[in-house]
Amino acid sequence: MKRIGEHFQGWMYALFALVTLCVFFACVCLGSVSIPLRNTVRVIFDEVRGVPSDTALRLARSVIVPVRLPRVLCVALAGSSLALAGAAMQGLLKNPLADGSTLGVSSGASLGAVIAIAFGITFPKLPFAGTMVMAILFALLSLLIILGLAYRLDCSLSTNTIILIGVIFSMFASSVMSIIITFASEHIKSITFWTMGSLQGASYRNAAVLAATLLVCGTVLLLHARELNAFAVGEDNAREIGVNVRRVRLVVLITVSCLIGVCVSIGGTIGFVGLVTPHMVRMIVGPNHKRLLPASMFSGAVFLMLADLVARTLLNPRELPIGVVTSIVGAAVFVLIYYRSRRR
Amino acid sequence: MKKTMQWLAVLAAAILMLAAFGCSTKPAPVSETTPAPEQPTAAPAEPTPEPAQDTTVTVVDMVGHTVTLEKPAERIVALTASDCEIIYALGAGDLLVGRGEWCDYPAEVFNVTSVESGGNTNIEQILALDPDVLVMSTMAQTEEQVKQLEDAGVAVVVNDAKDIAGVYTSIEILGKLLGKDAEAAAIIDGMKTAFAEIEANKLDGTKTVYFEVSPLEWGLWTAGAGTFMNEVAEMVGLKNCFADLEGWAQISEEQVIERNPDYIVTITMYLGEGPKPEEEIMARPGWEDVTAVKNAAILNLPNNELSRPIPRLADGAKMLFDFVMEIEEALALEPAA
Amino acid sequence: MLQVEHLRVQYGALAAVNDLSFSVSEGQWLMIVGPNGAGKSTILNAISQGVPYTGTIRYEGEDLKKTDAATRARRIGMLSQNHYVGYAFSVEEVVRLGRYAHRSRLFSVHKEEDEAAVEEALECTGLKDLRRQSVLTLSGGELQRTFLAQVFAQSPQLLLLDEPTNHLDLVYQKQIFALISEWLKTPGRAVVSVVHDLSLARAYGTQILLLHHGKPAAFGDTRDVMRPEVLNAVYDMDVAAWMRSMLSQWQPETE
Repeated sequence: MKRIGEHFQGWMYALFALVTLCVFFACVCLGSVSIPLRNTVRVIFDEVRGVPSDTALRLARSVIVPVRLPRVLCVALAGSSLALAGAAMQGLLKNPLADGSTLGVSSGASLGAVIAIAFGITFPKLPFAGTMVMAILFALLSLLIILGLAYRLDCSLSTNTIILIGVIFSMFASSVMSIIITFASEHIKSITFWTMGSLQGASYRNAAVLAATLLVCGTVLLLHARELNAFAVGEDNAREIGVNVRRVRLVVLITVSCLIGVCVSIGGTIGFVGLVTPHMVRMIVGPNHKRLLPASMFSGAVFLMLADLVARTLLNPRELPIGVVTSIVGAAVFVLIYYRSRRR
Repeated sequence: MKKTMQWLAVLAAAILMLAAFGCSTKPAPVSETTPAPEQPTAAPAEPTPEPAQDTTVTVVDMVGHTVTLEKPAERIVALTASDCEIIYALGAGDLLVGRGEWCDYPAEVFNVTSVESGGNTNIEQILALDPDVLVMSTMAQTEEQVKQLEDAGVAVVVNDAKDIAGVYTSIEILGKLLGKDAEAAAIIDGMKTAFAEIEANKLDGTKTVYFEVSPLEWGLWTAGAGTFMNEVAEMVGLKNCFADLEGWAQISEEQVIERNPDYIVTITMYLGEGPKPEEEIMARPGWEDVTAVKNAAILNLPNNELSRPIPRLADGAKMLFDFVMEIEEALALEPAA
Repeated sequence: MLQVEHLRVQYGALAAVNDLSFSVSEGQWLMIVGPNGAGKSTILNAISQGVPYTGTIRYEGEDLKKTDAATRARRIGMLSQNHYVGYAFSVEEVVRLGRYAHRSRLFSVHKEEDEAAVEEALECTGLKDLRRQSVLTLSGGELQRTFLAQVFAQSPQLLLLDEPTNHLDLVYQKQIFALISEWLKTPGRAVVSVVHDLSLARAYGTQILLLHHGKPAAFGDTRDVMRPEVLNAVYDMDVAAWMRSMLSQWQPETE
């Protein structure tokens, strides 16, 4: 017997992909500098074919090809990664409030990156790798600490315990950051700005790193969709039906750390994407991770691209930090969801 | 707010008068090692003799608050980097007994005890240094903190220059407080002369400049209208291409490319690794067609020459002016395309 | 089928189960009974590898500690006492999870077999009409039946049930015990369950393990263990008298 859900899946993905593409296109066309649609398209096509553009289109080319396109790409990929990480964590911990930002994993990753900057941890020929590797390591380390503490205090990992420990851990991480900033005086500037994070100046290389991470981690998580379903029903239940609980938990935590670490090292901490997107998606496609994970990836990309569009254009020529926009939108949506779920 | 300020001023004046009548002057110079008392020293048993001549110093600070000292301050704490710098420029660095944690110029300032500043201002730390005067900028500190300081006999002076004229005022105020009026006047004269020289040879205002306060990696920030950089640009005869914005603002990279500045001034500090700030700007994808990048007309002023209300603003302006003149000469030699 | 030898489970300084040995054979329904805190549920958790323990637990001669989770789950199914599902999974989705151990990672090779098992489990627990319903909207009995269906779908040979009818009203109690007896009729199967109700234990159990403070007070056929002197010592009361006085409330003349 065929299930309705399985039919649903096919056209649903097509729809999600279509919406994502449309939003992507809109975000490339719209921006702080207005460029006629016709020129945008021509410039992109010229670039793809490797033909130099008309001199009349030089400004359009300079804005679209090296600046706007890689930025929108990075934003989409980062949104996708964060939403995926959020969805996976919410499943693993059976807690709809789990997310990189609420658990303090993003702060941990920032701390790692700050340490890398302050102590000049770099890898020869890979200028970005130092902060990235440290961000990933610290994301994983923070997750292990937070969950370790939570298990100690409260075996059932209840929402309150997790959020409380997350808040405490975030505060701890920022105190350590303050200490480092105090002692690493000549690097002060870059560190203080670093904690704000920015996707401005995102390059194609950043996009490639994000895409590679998303590809690998996305594949790993999608292959664990059934295990995540089992965890979302309950960790004991997962063990009872034959899930290798320890292995799956470790794999998911490492994957999530990679996703968050890479995003944080490229774009700084961007809150609420991983929290709100899977929430909204769950309302549409249900809690089954086979549908939830891919749908969250599409929606995360759409959400962050739109947030970035607002950040880039709302106060033109000024620009807002993207985290401000996601937090405002995210908090509002979150309260709405919470209110509606309580009323039901 | 204004009312409270007035009230505070009255209160401060009352306290000072009480101090003047009741306590007389402070006991002779306190040695560096003496632990500071929690409370101001009470009236000594025998009254000190009247000073031979009138050494009273009265200044009106930049929030209109009148401060009177018995004699020029001998121990001063400055919370902002700019005030520290002015104190050193006045040759009064030896009177500085405490500095805000972010003060970084000149290098001698690092030998001075650092105290927390801004939102973290710690009154006990300041009182422990037993200063006569505390200089700070507008109310990052709470009114309660100001009152505590004044109660403890520390005169609080607010310096908050918003423009070059304001810088002159703050130099004057500090000169007066520290008994260095002549030095203050000399610094101001020097600045005025330097600026006048620049203005006399200024450009016609058709060329544009973009000030980069924060590099692309951390998100672009620029200085708009109402900043020292904007004022200096006008002086040099350049048009700030983000003059439509007020104060410091985060801006879109696209906007810089579109506005196509003739000059770029970056204040990013070079940390000794990777490309230098001006090289990094030259190498940014999409910026190839920006005039400043094409002409390599990018100046790095990394030591806050143009971002703080300090005497060195004149140096910064001169550096910008000389740089612009050099580029303009080179461009004039090239045959027009 | 199942051999437990010298089982010891330690919670901090407290030994919840101490030096316990017993075995279960095909066709048997072992009831684990005993007062609160006797360590009944802990035994089931140890068998399903949910708590650390010393001693050995073997299934068909194979040490369960060394068996991988999926293999174990294909043989032993466990229904725990409390179910709290955080998300709005449908009944069918939860039941389908029972097939986890039977499916390979990439391809669902036994698709028909899986579907059949799920359908059968839904059918025999009477959940066919509720299959699309969210588990968050189910009553306690429906939720319990959902997880029972999940464990049926798992097609194990040994069923571990922790208070299967706890918090359920009589209708469901009867239903669930009837279901399990029915399931046990297929050869090669066995059940171990923890129950509070001694009457249920007596009615359905073929063997009884009576626990007292983590130690076995008695183990054997139902009628050998359910003797007044054995029970009274463990419960520190006249169990049979109490049961009879309860039952006497239901004499026909009180209609």
